[in-house]
Amino acid sequence: MSTLQDDRFTFQRAEDTASEHIAAPRYSYWKSVFRKFFSSKLAIAMLILAGTIILLSIFQPMISGYSPRITPNINRPEMKYIRPNSTYWFGTDDKGNSLFDAVWAGTRSSLIVAFAATAISTIVGVAVGMWWGFSKKVDVIMIEVYNVIANIPTLLIAMILVYAIGSGMGSLIFALSVTSWIGTAYFIRVQVMIIRDREYNLASRCLGTPTWKIITHNVLPYLISVIMTIISRDVPGFISYEVFLSMVGVGLNRDIPSLGQMIRDYSPYLISTPYLFWIPVAVSAVISVSLYIVGQTLADASDPRTHMV
Amino acid sequence: MRKYILTRILKSILSIFAVVSIIIVMLFTMIDRTKIFENDPVLKKQKGDARTTYIYKKYDELGYMDYQRKVDLCKGVYDDASDYNACLVNGSEKQQEALGVWERKGYTVEYLKSGDPLVYHDYSALELLGHFYSQLIVVDSKNAIQDEANPDLERRYYTGKNPANGTPAILCSGCQYKYQLYFNGSFPFIHQNKITFNFGNSYPSNPGIPTAQVINEGQGAIKSYEQTFDTGLTESSALIQTSCQYKPTLDKLDSKRFSDHYASCLSAHESPSMVGTSYLMGIISLIIAYAFGIPAAIDMAQHKDKFRDKLGIAYINLLVALPSMAFIFFMRSIGTKLGLPDKFPQLGFGDIRSWIMPTVILALLSTPSLMMWLRRYMIDQSNADYVKFARAKGLSEKEIFRHHILRNAIIPIVNGIPSSIILCISGALITESAFAVPGMGKMLPNAINQLNNNMVITLTFIFTALSILAVLIGDLLMVAVDPRISLTAKGGE
Repeated sequence: MSTLQDDRFTFQRAEDTASEHIAAPRYSYWKSVFRKFFSSKLAIAMLILAGTIILLSIFQPMISGYSPRITPNINRPEMKYIRPNSTYWFGTDDKGNSLFDAVWAGTRSSLIVAFAATAISTIVGVAVGMWWGFSKKVDVIMIEVYNVIANIPTLLIAMILVYAIGSGMGSLIFALSVTSWIGTAYFIRVQVMIIRDREYNLASRCLGTPTWKIITHNVLPYLISVIMTIISRDVPGFISYEVFLSMVGVGLNRDIPSLGQMIRDYSPYLISTPYLFWIPVAVSAVISVSLYIVGQTLADASDPRTHMV
Repeated sequence: MRKYILTRILKSILSIFAVVSIIIVMLFTMIDRTKIFENDPVLKKQKGDARTTYIYKKYDELGYMDYQRKVDLCKGVYDDASDYNACLVNGSEKQQEALGVWERKGYTVEYLKSGDPLVYHDYSALELLGHFYSQLIVVDSKNAIQDEANPDLERRYYTGKNPANGTPAILCSGCQYKYQLYFNGSFPFIHQNKITFNFGNSYPSNPGIPTAQVINEGQGAIKSYEQTFDTGLTESSALIQTSCQYKPTLDKLDSKRFSDHYASCLSAHESPSMVGTSYLMGIISLIIAYAFGIPAAIDMAQHKDKFRDKLGIAYINLLVALPSMAFIFFMRSIGTKLGLPDKFPQLGFGDIRSWIMPTVILALLSTPSLMMWLRRYMIDQSNADYVKFARAKGLSEKEIFRHHILRNAIIPIVNGIPSSIILCISGALITESAFAVPGMGKMLPNAINQLNNNMVITLTFIFTALSILAVLIGDLLMVAVDPRISLTAKGGE
């Protein structure tokens, strides 16, 4: 056995800064979310598509000033049923109006209804769900309320609500959000109950952190991806409801342009002028699908577990 | 367990009543009631006093208010004939006194152009509910018919035969319905008329006909068949004898057929009723959905992350994201290309081609959630220890999936089978509207557009009761399939 000689070693200075250095790359939550999101080519394409549609539906109706009541070409037969061409991109309808204007005005109504209803039902649902998950007293009452309401088809109640309070954008948003918030709240309640008693939350509670701070600092960030999933499912769902309700005549009233009403009005033209019918159907399908895929990808990206390299 | 089921049933009934009550109050107080006459052709022909009284009479019939004509309001106050006659004279003291009595009861007095007074009282929310529920359930008894013109009416129950098929039946004289209990070949095979639901009459569409009858009675042309009546007369007729109710005055034809007063019968029709149509379509589509969805989900789970799994996920996402309307129209146009009709009534009930597209679409609409969850459960199960053990023991993948994983993963799906009936209902709302299928689903938007409040309430009651029942049955079914699950045990804190 050979002995170790001192001359095989050299002295090194102890550097404090080096010992503090963290070799792992810096982690930023939102940066990781965006990196993950933009790594999906499909999501980028859908984001561009959805963005274009949203911008078009915001600004195009402002320029065109379209309203179903204004029909300047109603007595000019040569203006009616023009097939899509370079002047009228989507052609003209039975009243001589440009379908391009009508479609974007209708899309705007659908998007306003869908986004507003999603926002209300998500905010109320998450707030109530948090409270529901943390408070045992609330749980006793709310679970009974949930059992009563949850078993009834949403569409049925929304339909009757719109019928009772009158058809308009406000009442449609109210009807859709009032029927759907409790589903969101229940979902959040279950999630809260799962993570409420994890060790890090118990530790927080032992250290005397107020419940409010536990909710906002410990639980809510954990739920971002869950909430994103709910949103990405709700928006297309509400668009679908709006289209259906307007189509059967219990959604938006006649003064508000809507894709559903267009689909209803033009379904008799399916054989003679199919573009009148298929363009609104296609637009409603494209916005729903693109928003859904963007939402799902964002939900996946906002889950920190997917950030591991 | 029995106690649990009992409380669950009680809670279910309570929730049905809660929902229906809310809807009744909303419909009767929030909707402008003058609107209900918009679709009434009778009112357009009337003017003056006739119009006013017609409107009040309709409000009374539909349950908005209690309305008393001059004759009724006098009768309500005076028993004595001379007082009553004095009350009928407009402007008399007796009449003023009578009006005073009604006013103190909370009634509003109004005068017609002819000078005749009338009183009415709008129902409050509670009175509305009381009015509705007090007449909702009708129990038939042998003293139900009180006909002054027919004082010698026999009052007894007796056994007889169902004239349509010769099976034994319990009959009654003095009841509203002649046949109290009878058997026949249509679901649920045992039928009774002892307890019936009265949801009020349909108005303004199908005026005067009870809403329950509108959705239960057959549709289409009347179908006659050879049958023998009480009197021994055998002829071709469409009457369904088991549905016969008491009729105060008989016409010539009635007395030729019936030896008693039970002559007001429903007729047989060529096509099934609205309820029947919706059920048939719903159940067939459910079978298709499971026959397609379960093997597809198993296949996806077996080939996780392979091409067919990705294809399946794309299919699920597409169906979740697409507005159902767009999907239905897209499928319908494919159907038209294949030579199938785009509207149900084009070929009607008799032709199988009119059923294909609505049923298939209804089935496809309920597959994504089924496939998504079954795949999820199976993948979760496939990492369990017992699966690893089975694999280590050398069982084939096919055997593991079919006999071990599926058995465990199917439990939550069993729980979901009755709930998919709910999905079927809301799916039916959309599909039936798109294809103009004459079922319950299409009836709801129609009733709403015609402001047919009683029909809306009836349909809500049926849909809600069905959904709540489905969830209950689903839970019980789950316990039956998996003995490890207990609904009564309390978990956690």
